[in-house]
Amino acid sequence: MADTISVTQLNQRVRSILSESPAVKDVWVVGELSNLKKYPSGHYYFTLKDNTSEIKGVMFKPSRSRIDFEPQDNMKVTAFGRVDIYVERGSYQFVVETMQRSGVGDLYLAYEALKNKLEAEGLFDPSRKRPLPPYPKVIGVVTSPKGAVIHDIITTTRRLFPADILLYPALVQGEGAAGSIVKGIEALNREGVDVIIVGRGGGSIEDLWAFNEEVVARAIAASKAPIISAVGHETDFTIADFVADLRAPTPTGAAELALRDRKEVLKHLDTDMIRINRSLSMILGRMHHRFEMLDSKLDPKRAEQRVSMYSMRLDDLNSRMGSALKDKIEVVRRRFIRLDSSMDIHVRRMLENDSKDLRRYSERLESINPMKVLDRGYTLVTDESGTALTSSRQLKPGAGINVIMKDGKAEAEVKKVEMR
Amino acid sequence: MEIEEMTFEESLKTLEQLVSELENGNLDLDKALEIYERAIILRDRCRKILDESDRKVRMMIETSEGVKKEDFVIE
Repeated sequence: MADTISVTQLNQRVRSILSESPAVKDVWVVGELSNLKKYPSGHYYFTLKDNTSEIKGVMFKPSRSRIDFEPQDNMKVTAFGRVDIYVERGSYQFVVETMQRSGVGDLYLAYEALKNKLEAEGLFDPSRKRPLPPYPKVIGVVTSPKGAVIHDIITTTRRLFPADILLYPALVQGEGAAGSIVKGIEALNREGVDVIIVGRGGGSIEDLWAFNEEVVARAIAASKAPIISAVGHETDFTIADFVADLRAPTPTGAAELALRDRKEVLKHLDTDMIRINRSLSMILGRMHHRFEMLDSKLDPKRAEQRVSMYSMRLDDLNSRMGSALKDKIEVVRRRFIRLDSSMDIHVRRMLENDSKDLRRYSERLESINPMKVLDRGYTLVTDESGTALTSSRQLKPGAGINVIMKDGKAEAEVKKVEMR
Repeated sequence: MEIEEMTFEESLKTLEQLVSELENGNLDLDKALEIYERAIILRDRCRKILDESDRKVRMMIETSEGVKKEDFVIE
């Protein structure tokens, strides 16, 4: 019997033959990456394949510094290296020392060509950009139902103006992605959403390719609802970004562009109410002054009646102003808490003065309390709900009325009405 | 239009018109009070919309019978 050798020895022999063979040493191999696994050790394991064959591959950590891109599945590459045997398993693999992406050049050419074509058509013109609705009721989102984009949008919108979200679950990568995105834009338009966010996370130019396809660009241009694009990283511009009405750097940014901050809107409302209160204070002050003049110069009885009538309404108003005042004090307090913010002093002073004005006015209202009129022997007639009646035309026979005097009231019924 | 049926945008726009009316017009008290009352209702309407918590997040599903929408919850 000839010499026997161990399995290990056999594998070692194969290994030494292979390692000396120039046919499988220092070769450039064209193929596509798949089953890429990145290990904590820093080594990359993958399969390199073409249409009919495949070979296991590995790229050790030190070699990784030689490449200027992040390898990904489905990426076409040209890899340089040698074939080696993994003795323990008797399997052979391609040990990659460096690699280059291939096919990318074609994609860039296609991108540039389409970009130039659509730009010449005017699809990127600033004049085509539509303003976003300030307070949308429904936001449409075209993106994957899995992944960070929809998650970030939903999370962010919680602190924004409340709007419904309608998601169209789209394929955002690979075969059929462009068609799926187009269908999403069309479907959301049929639903009548107010604004649409089209998004996906970052990736290689191949991953983002659907957003560089003409059908997607055309669908964005044809959309009735304004479109915000949030595709890839801030530095990647896709054709979709150029056609969209607005481009957001991230999905969170897109949500913030679509909806205003809830707190800002509340602040805006408060400011409106402050302006209203101030105007009203001025008008009330002016009226009060005029009645005082009337009181002294004209028929004192008629003037008195009118004063009492207005006093009733002022009283009612006074109580409402009270709550408006409370709101305002709250606003002032909140602003003080935020002293460190860049809120300008002018606004704070305005609010302070405003509170003082209101308080002063409340005191003045007190001085024309209708009860003081009653003290002088007048009565006040109201309907059953308490609304002051000032004309005989407001009375009907049989109707219940209240007669209010300085020290009590009577419920009465109208017997007969005579108008003059 | 009834205030209860107004959108947020319509309510806010109406409120802002009232503010300028009150600020610019030389109004009598009756008219001013009327405006004030309406402004309070509009403010309340706006706040109600802002505080709405039943915001819907739904996903469209296309079936042979047409479009369905179901609640969507993030994991």
